[in-house]
Amino acid sequence: MTELLAPAGDLEKLKIALMYGADAVFIGGTDFSLRARASNFTLDDIAEATRFAHERGKKVYVTTNIIPHNEDLHGLIEYLKALEERHVDAIISASPYIVDMAHQHTQLEVHLSTQQSASNTETVNFWYQRGVKRVVLARELSKHVIADMVKKTEADLEVFIHGGMCMSFSGRCSLSNNMTDRDANRGGCAHSCRWNYTMYRANEKVSEEMFSMSSKDLEALEQIPFLMDAGVKSLKIEGRMKSLHYIATVVSTYRKLMDDHLKYGQIHDFMPYLIELEKAENRLTSHGFLEGLPGPEQQLFSMRSEQPSQLFVGLVQSYDPITQIAFIEQRNHFEINSNLEVLLTDGSVKTFFLDSMHDIEEHFTPVARHPKQILKIKIPFQVEPYAMIRKSS
Amino acid sequence: MKILSTIHELKNMNSLSVFADGFLVGNDQFGTRLTKSFDLLELISAIHESTRLKKEIFLLFNQIMNDEEISKFKDFIKALPLHEVTAIVVADLGVLMVLKAMGYAQKVIYHPETLITNTYDFNMMIELGIKGVVVAKEITLDEIKEIGDNRKLELFMVGHGHLNMFYSKRQLIENFMDHLGEKNRDHNRHDLRLIEENRASEAFPILEDHAGTHVFRSNVMHSIDHLSELNTCVDYIIVDTIFKDDAYAEKVLPMYHNQTLDLEVKHELESLYHEQWDEGFFYKKTIYKTKG
Repeated sequence: MTELLAPAGDLEKLKIALMYGADAVFIGGTDFSLRARASNFTLDDIAEATRFAHERGKKVYVTTNIIPHNEDLHGLIEYLKALEERHVDAIISASPYIVDMAHQHTQLEVHLSTQQSASNTETVNFWYQRGVKRVVLARELSKHVIADMVKKTEADLEVFIHGGMCMSFSGRCSLSNNMTDRDANRGGCAHSCRWNYTMYRANEKVSEEMFSMSSKDLEALEQIPFLMDAGVKSLKIEGRMKSLHYIATVVSTYRKLMDDHLKYGQIHDFMPYLIELEKAENRLTSHGFLEGLPGPEQQLFSMRSEQPSQLFVGLVQSYDPITQIAFIEQRNHFEINSNLEVLLTDGSVKTFFLDSMHDIEEHFTPVARHPKQILKIKIPFQVEPYAMIRKSS
Repeated sequence: MKILSTIHELKNMNSLSVFADGFLVGNDQFGTRLTKSFDLLELISAIHESTRLKKEIFLLFNQIMNDEEISKFKDFIKALPLHEVTAIVVADLGVLMVLKAMGYAQKVIYHPETLITNTYDFNMMIELGIKGVVVAKEITLDEIKEIGDNRKLELFMVGHGHLNMFYSKRQLIENFMDHLGEKNRDHNRHDLRLIEENRASEAFPILEDHAGTHVFRSNVMHSIDHLSELNTCVDYIIVDTIFKDDAYAEKVLPMYHNQTLDLEVKHELESLYHEQWDEGFFYKKTIYKTKG
C-alpha cells in the first residue's frame, strides 16, 4: 500500500495531517534538523506525536537531516536514543555519520534524505546495503525513470508529490552560505534563489526582466495513479511551514485521490481534485521533473507566487448536535448572509448559508474581524473539532 | 601537497606542467563546469600527453546522473585508457559505485561539492577503497585542518577559482530566453553574469551547460597565504581556471608552486580579469541555525 506522507510544523498541524488522511508525518526536532524555523518539536512533543499517531495506526518520522560539521556532532547519539525511546518510526538523514550512528546505537529505521540527491539505482542500492530502508529520491527524476528504479532495488522509494521545489539539486546549493553566511545544509537556507537577479551578457543587460531561479510549486495529481501503480512506497507532501488549512486541504485531496484510484482503478477527471487543491493556497504549480526536464512554463518569472488563500475563515472547536451550534476560531474576515462550506476530516465538503453569528458573550456579530476570536454559528449538519470553515467558492 | 590545474588548450599542458603536478580535463556529456569540453580523442591525447610529461591526469565526470545517463557513461569510459589515468573525479555516489564495480575504485576521487564537512563522513569513504575525497568548499580553514590531520585517505580541496554555489539540472537560460521569446545564444557562454538587486557590486558568473545551470561566487577564492600550514593536511590543491584562460594559469600556478603570494601579479590579474580575490570560507564561519 502506498503511503501518503505529510509535513507538520507543530503538534496541532501533525494532528490535522493525520486526521485528514496522512498515513505518516515528518517533523523536525529541535536538533540536527533542516528548516530550523519549522523544527520545534521538543522530545516531549515527539512523545505526544508518536502516541497520537500510533493510536491511529500511523507513523511519525523525524528529520535529522543536516550535513554536520565536526562541531555539530556532540550529543547526536544521546538524541537518537531519545528518539528511539519515544517510539519514533524512522529518522530521515543525509550524513553518513548520522546514518551510521543510528544503526550502531539504536534500532531506528533510517530513511535517506533528499539532501543526498539520490538520482540513480546505484546510489539507492549503496545506501540500502548500508542499512537504509528507504530512500527519498532527488526531485530531478521523471515518473518513468522512477518506475524503472522501483524494479531495480529492494529499497523503499519515496517521491515528492506536492510543495515547494528547490531549484538546485538539494544539498548541493550554497547560495545562502555565500550571500547571507547562513548554512543551507544546516538549517539556514535563506531562499536566495528566489531573490531578484538581472542577467548580463559581458556588460550588456540581457533583458529588463528579472532572471528566474524560482520554480512553481510541485503538484502531481495526475501522476499519482502512475506512481502508485509503479510501486513507489511513499508519496511526500512538502511544507512544514504551511498553515493548518493548507495541510488539511492538500492532505485530504491527495488522500481522496489515492483512495479513489484504489477503489475504481482509474481516475477519469482530475479537475475536481485540482479545484479542491487550489483552495489551499493561490500558488502556481507545475509537475516539476515528473513529466521530464522542466521548461519555462514550470518557472516563476517576474511574479511572486505566494498569495495566501483568504478562503479559510474558521476552525471548528466544538459542535452541539442538538442545538446545531458550533464554536469556531476566526482565521480570516467573513460576514453573515454569505455561503460557507465545511471541509470535514474525511475530505468531504458540505455547504451552508450563514444567517447569524454571535460572540461568546452572546453579542450579535455580523462581521468576524478579529483573528482567533471565538464565535458561535449555526451549522445545519454534524461537524467535528478541526473541521475547517471556508468561504464557498 | 600537489597542485592540480584545469586547462583550456591541450597544447599548453607542456608549459603549465612546469608548475602543475597534474591536470583536470573533462567532457561535457558527463562532466560539468568545465573550462572546456574535450572530446574523446582529445581526452585520450591529454592522457597520453600527461604520461609523456610524467604528470598526473584527472578526468572530471562530476555530473549527478540518472540511470539512463549512467548507462551511457559506462559505454563512454570503455573507450578511454583508464589504466593510464591518475584518477576520476565524481560527484555522484552511483557513478562511484559503477567505477568500483569496473575495478577502478582506487582511481576515484569523490567530490560532492558541499557534502564533506566532517571527519567521519570524509574517512567513511575509505570503506569504498577510493583514492581521495574533496572537502566541501564551505568549511573553514580550521575545519579543513582538523579533517586533514585525521584523514585516512587523500584530501583534496579547491584552492583557487570561482567556487560553484548552485547546481540545477534545469536549463535555466534556455528557459529564460524561451520566456523572452528569444533564441538561446548563451548555452555554454562563459561571460554571463547575474547581479542581485541588493548586491550591485557583485557579479556572479552563471553558466548553462549540458548538465544544467550553475552559479558561481563573484570573487575568486585563493589560498596562497595558507599553503604552508595546509602542507601537512592537504594532499592535492585544485586551481580551477574556469572563466579565465591558460595565460591566467601561467601567472597563478607559480605562486602555488612557490607557496608565495606575489602581490604585483595578484593586482595585475585582478585588473586584467576584472576580479577580486578573497579567502572563501577560510574565516567565514556559517551559521548553524537561525531560529526565527
